Amino acid sequence: MKLAAQYNRATLIITVAVLFIAGVAYYAAINYIVNKQLDRDLVEELTEITDYINTNQHLPRPLDFEGDQTTFIKTDKDNLETTFYDTPYHKNRGNKTEQGRAVQSLIYLKGNHYIIVVAESKEASENLTQLIIGITILLTAILLLILILTNRYIFSGIWRPFYHILQQLKAFNVADTNNINLNKTNIDEFSELNDAVTVMASRVKNDYQNLKSFTENASHEMLTPIAVITSKLDTLIQDEKLKAEQFIQINDIYTATNKLSRLNQSLLLLVKIDNDLIHDHATFNLKDVILEKEHQLQELAQNKNIELIHLLEDKQITASRYLIEILINNLFNNAIKHNPVDGELYIRLTQRELRFQNTGDHNALNSDEIFERFKKGKNSDGTGLGLTIAKNICSQYGYSLNYSFESPYHTFKITFND
Amino acid sequence: MKLLIIEDEQGLRESIDKYFTEAGVLCESCSNLATAISKIALYEYDCILLDIGLPDGEGFTLLEHLKENGKNEGVLIISARNSLDNKIKGLNLGADDYLIKPFHLAELKARIDAIYRRRAFNSTNLLNYDLINIDLLAREVTVNAISVVLTRKEYDMLLYFIANKGKVISKNAIAEHLWGDEIDLVDSFDFIYTHIKNIRKKLMEVAHKDYIKAVYGVGYKFL
Repeated sequence: MKLAAQYNRATLIITVAVLFIAGVAYYAAINYIVNKQLDRDLVEELTEITDYINTNQHLPRPLDFEGDQTTFIKTDKDNLETTFYDTPYHKNRGNKTEQGRAVQSLIYLKGNHYIIVVAESKEASENLTQLIIGITILLTAILLLILILTNRYIFSGIWRPFYHILQQLKAFNVADTNNINLNKTNIDEFSELNDAVTVMASRVKNDYQNLKSFTENASHEMLTPIAVITSKLDTLIQDEKLKAEQFIQINDIYTATNKLSRLNQSLLLLVKIDNDLIHDHATFNLKDVILEKEHQLQELAQNKNIELIHLLEDKQITASRYLIEILINNLFNNAIKHNPVDGELYIRLTQRELRFQNTGDHNALNSDEIFERFKKGKNSDGTGLGLTIAKNICSQYGYSLNYSFESPYHTFKITFND
Repeated sequence: MKLLIIEDEQGLRESIDKYFTEAGVLCESCSNLATAISKIALYEYDCILLDIGLPDGEGFTLLEHLKENGKNEGVLIISARNSLDNKIKGLNLGADDYLIKPFHLAELKARIDAIYRRRAFNSTNLLNYDLINIDLLAREVTVNAISVVLTRKEYDMLLYFIANKGKVISKNAIAEHLWGDEIDLVDSFDFIYTHIKNIRKKLMEVAHKDYIKAVYGVGYKFL
């Protein structure tokens, strides 16, 4: 639930509750005062009637006197306390019933006891109470409206810096070069938050940059020693006195050194793609790149007697040709390397997608893992970075690269999304 | 041919020096920019091997220096940075070629030879080795005036071998030369064997001589 809604709800509940209690208290107080007033009137009336009886020594005729209704009832009781109570009030002796207030008392006349009941209409005071309740409700409504409007203002105004920070945090990307950009605010809490976020963002970026430049520098620094090893091996094999098994060992060192060097180049390439350092964009036909790669790698396919079928449409793309060549190379190599002898490889290029379908292992690969760094098949002697690089190149250009398996074909599909 | 090697890594510098000297190239070497500039002022070289990352500055300075002084030496840049920008910058400043570390000495020799040939023999474009004559422009090979038809890869290999004549060339070096370093080496060794078998056969038919000697386990030697 949104903070604003939460806050609105809390204030509404509290306001309504307080106003309700206040209304009840109001009503009770007014009722009390009105009753007191009526009771005083009734007592006055009672006194007048008692005086009349004492003077005239007979009961007055029961009649309406200024709206008061007086009733006399003969009784045997010789003791009755004067009590006040609410009672229905029949106006004009008719059918209409209103709320009324009555008093009863005992009088003594010529050896007989009479209960005297004087009733009075509460109509006028009822109206007053209703008016007061009406005003209270109106006030409540106005107050709520004002509260809601104020909250809205508060949230769009005072909380604006908060939403700005939130937006910036959502858009935050460690790999981006532009810094987090926060507005100045007078509110202490938000300005503290601003500072904290800014410091955190720059620290995270700094760490990330350090890590990247470390990777880059480490890889670069390793290339010169590898170059020394290679050149020394090249010199060593010139020695005619070496024995055959020594040559075999040297060959193993060559292979390991070559792998080391490729690993290094791959790591450097990944850093470059991540840093978006390759900008040589050009528009070219992807079909040409695929045909070129196919020409270059067909010997490998022929060697395994792989049936290679392609169906390629012309597809113009704008990208770094260098990166696209690497992408195609990696997918191609992958499809050949994991293909069994007499396997099949289909390449299909349309306006929307590029598919590499090849036979291979009978089980599906783990599609969550294959694009991760250094995840590779049991039989792979590659660097474990080829598909990671392919994936990163694709995301660089907004393409999606997906793997699927439908026996017996493993499919890598690039969707161009343009 | 006279070659100046400018490389600060001692191990690499010595290997290059040894390899080229044994191949009959007159080599001088130095490890920093200042020495290199003074050497260039004093002597004439056919080719310069230039490392970009030097202790007292970037190799580009030397290229600018050569340009300003109207020098015409062929320059091959070697760099640990596989950066397109650096490559373009180097080539724009007048370098002839760009090689990324690590590299095989055989590859370096072939590249230097190519630069040297382009500069020295730009009138004839003919290359002779023993009985073999190669027309570099037409990409034609003749032995005893008989034409030898080679595939593109076989032709590349032959040039590579001739540049490194008398040296043992590892299979790795050949594979990287033919397919680049993006290929898995193990897969490519079979093709090297096939290509070499074909070249041998084709040359044998016309020259009646086996030029290629296999060095067990590691590579081949062109004699």
